[in-house]
Amino acid sequence: MADKMDVDAVNGEKSQETVGPAPDLPAERIITNNFHLINQAVQAFDARFTLRALRNISTIRKAPNFPEAIAIAIRTAFPKPTNNARRVLETMLPEQYKNVQNGETGDGLKDPDIVEVAEVWAYLGVLVQVYLYDTKQYKKGAQFSDNFVEKVRSFNRRTMDSIGAKAYFYYALFHENLDPKPPSKQSPAIAIRPTLLAALRSAVLRKDAETQSAVTVLLLRNYISTADITQADLLVAQTHFPASAANNQVCRYLYYLGRIRAIQLAYTQAHAHLESATRKSPTTGPAAGFYQQATKLLIVVELLMGDIPTRTLFRQPALEAALYPYFKLVQAVRVGDLDAYLKCVSANEAQFRQDGTYTLTLRLRQNVIKTGVRMLSLSYSRISLRDICTRLNISSEESAEYITAKAIRDGVIEASLDHQQGHLVTTPAKDAYSTTEPSEAFHMRIEALLGMRDECVMAMRYPMNKHRQEIAEAAKARERERELAKEIIEGEGDEEGDEGQFEGM
Amino acid sequence: MADNEVKQLISHLDTLKPSTLTQAPQLLSRAKLALLKLHALVPGAQTSPQHLLLAATVLEYGALISIRLKDTDAFTRYYQQLQPFYSLPAERWNSRVGKPSNQSKVTGLYLLLLLSVGDYAGFHTVLEGLEMSAGKEQMEKDQFIQYPVRLEQALMEGSYDKVWGETKGERVPSEEFGVFSEVLITTIRSEIASCSERAYPSLPISNAKNLLFLDSEGAVVQFAQSRGWVAKDGRIYFPQQEEEMLAAEKDVMSSSGMVIENTLGYARKLETIV
Repeated sequence: MADKMDVDAVNGEKSQETVGPAPDLPAERIITNNFHLINQAVQAFDARFTLRALRNISTIRKAPNFPEAIAIAIRTAFPKPTNNARRVLETMLPEQYKNVQNGETGDGLKDPDIVEVAEVWAYLGVLVQVYLYDTKQYKKGAQFSDNFVEKVRSFNRRTMDSIGAKAYFYYALFHENLDPKPPSKQSPAIAIRPTLLAALRSAVLRKDAETQSAVTVLLLRNYISTADITQADLLVAQTHFPASAANNQVCRYLYYLGRIRAIQLAYTQAHAHLESATRKSPTTGPAAGFYQQATKLLIVVELLMGDIPTRTLFRQPALEAALYPYFKLVQAVRVGDLDAYLKCVSANEAQFRQDGTYTLTLRLRQNVIKTGVRMLSLSYSRISLRDICTRLNISSEESAEYITAKAIRDGVIEASLDHQQGHLVTTPAKDAYSTTEPSEAFHMRIEALLGMRDECVMAMRYPMNKHRQEIAEAAKARERERELAKEIIEGEGDEEGDEGQFEGM
Repeated sequence: MADNEVKQLISHLDTLKPSTLTQAPQLLSRAKLALLKLHALVPGAQTSPQHLLLAATVLEYGALISIRLKDTDAFTRYYQQLQPFYSLPAERWNSRVGKPSNQSKVTGLYLLLLLSVGDYAGFHTVLEGLEMSAGKEQMEKDQFIQYPVRLEQALMEGSYDKVWGETKGERVPSEEFGVFSEVLITTIRSEIASCSERAYPSLPISNAKNLLFLDSEGAVVQFAQSRGWVAKDGRIYFPQQEEEMLAAEKDVMSSSGMVIENTLGYARKLETIV
């Protein structure tokens, strides 16, 4: 029976993947099927089955009878109404579902060994969290999650890691939505830091990479939400992000890291982190929001570094509308138009603030001026400081002189100043190929490609015990060979013997 | 008992004259001891509004006085100690007793300190936090915060004459901020000097005087010598440029070493891949 159910579960899931948002199985069936997946995961000690069970949460939560389905599933998993675990979960669901009879899902009742597994309980707990979150019962959800994560942590089972990571995710989400919301220093989100830190500590000690990565990301998010950048930076410095973390967590981690570095003016590092975050993140579906957000930050950081993002970036269908204000910003910076830049920043202030890029865009002012100076120095071989003032809207000639002098020192332009005449004289451009620049650019590209290759190699999955299988096979093959050789020898011997007999006859 | 002692010490601190400022650290450490007895040096859940205010006031005095004494380490310590007080919710401050009054002043001074030591990363980190917690309107009204923000902007874009203007008497929001003016002027002077080295082939001394905000031509010559510039026939010549040209040529020599190293690196990588 169990085997048949397994097949069902796999099939059910496959059909969902192909059909898309409209599952042909009722939600309660999917959940009960997932019990088997989880059970299998526990028996085979393979987290992949659990992940598969967790993956279709997004499908189930959209089902119209989601709470009812959970109620039925709870009943299926814990048939005894006096069961404590069952009662804990059920009190979170609305009254009317408590009396639903579990007759409809009679087939889930049989093997008691699947249902008494702690992982199944934790899975149902996560479903309850999802339900509470979707119905915006944040307070109730926060209370439930407090106890729930504590319980999950006390189980200390490696097969529960991925479920536990999810539990912490919703735990943090609930607390973040409680009033007063994060930027305030009294937010309840701050109060969960000790719990998260404790969870991180136990996760590290138990070599639980799933929870470790999830909780690290949650902590970073928490710190950044209240602008405790120093603490976030210290956390990054003191912890080690597990290399085996799921791709989604890596993306988030890189994004937050990029954000911290951008605030600390380490633009090169920020750029590297954000670039890998945007490359690794899925570009469509429910993750499009993350992709947009990371790209926005990446654009601002690129501008701060003095680069101009490519035009094609803004043409992607998932980004076009969301990036419009940033497109305007890039246009203003590209031509060095201080007026347009100031207008753009004040017009889109609300949007930039919401994206958390406002302070970064304010820093762009000097870049705009630098670009302006560069444009002027490219177009004129000699220009008076007075003209620079009027072109760039600088208040005085003295300012213009200092600004151009700084631009020369920073290597933005190749020029020299004539103080007495008040001129900026551009020195003719040198042949780029007589410098080491081309070889440096070449080196950078090669480095990037080699790095990508190394990452690819590291990203490959090597199934556990595969090599043992090979060894066994090799041993078997050797055995066979030996047998074969033996047979041949014996055969020869036999033949000889036969011949001998023949002769004898 | 300790209550009154702290109050007395505060009033004592209040009446300190600039000439007797050196006594302040002693008074402050006595006040801090008294606060410890009241369990108020670090805000706890039980600390009463009166004690909170006493503690915050003492620490603010400490911060401002250490700035006047140019003891930046002590100032940073006081600033850190004040942070838990500033992040307390509004309800904790009794409306009758009042809130500590110098929060923005102390924060502004801290920003200026970070700026003067060139810690731009720290500066922006603090600013980001302020932006989040206080909101824009409040920040733009606050002259103590706006002052370092304006300075940073002028410094970054290179309008050093604006910085010079800001450090003059009436533009400085309070006397504590004046302490940094000197540091800032030294900073911009060396910035201007390093810019000039690259930007001008040579410069008349009289013009250099204006550019570097120096008082006399004698000071210019002195400054030029300290930076290793050559003053000749009423003009300043910057020898650094020639040195750099030489260095660039040497660079080409040393870069061949790098090219070899890189190529060997590629070869090794290729080996591992193929």
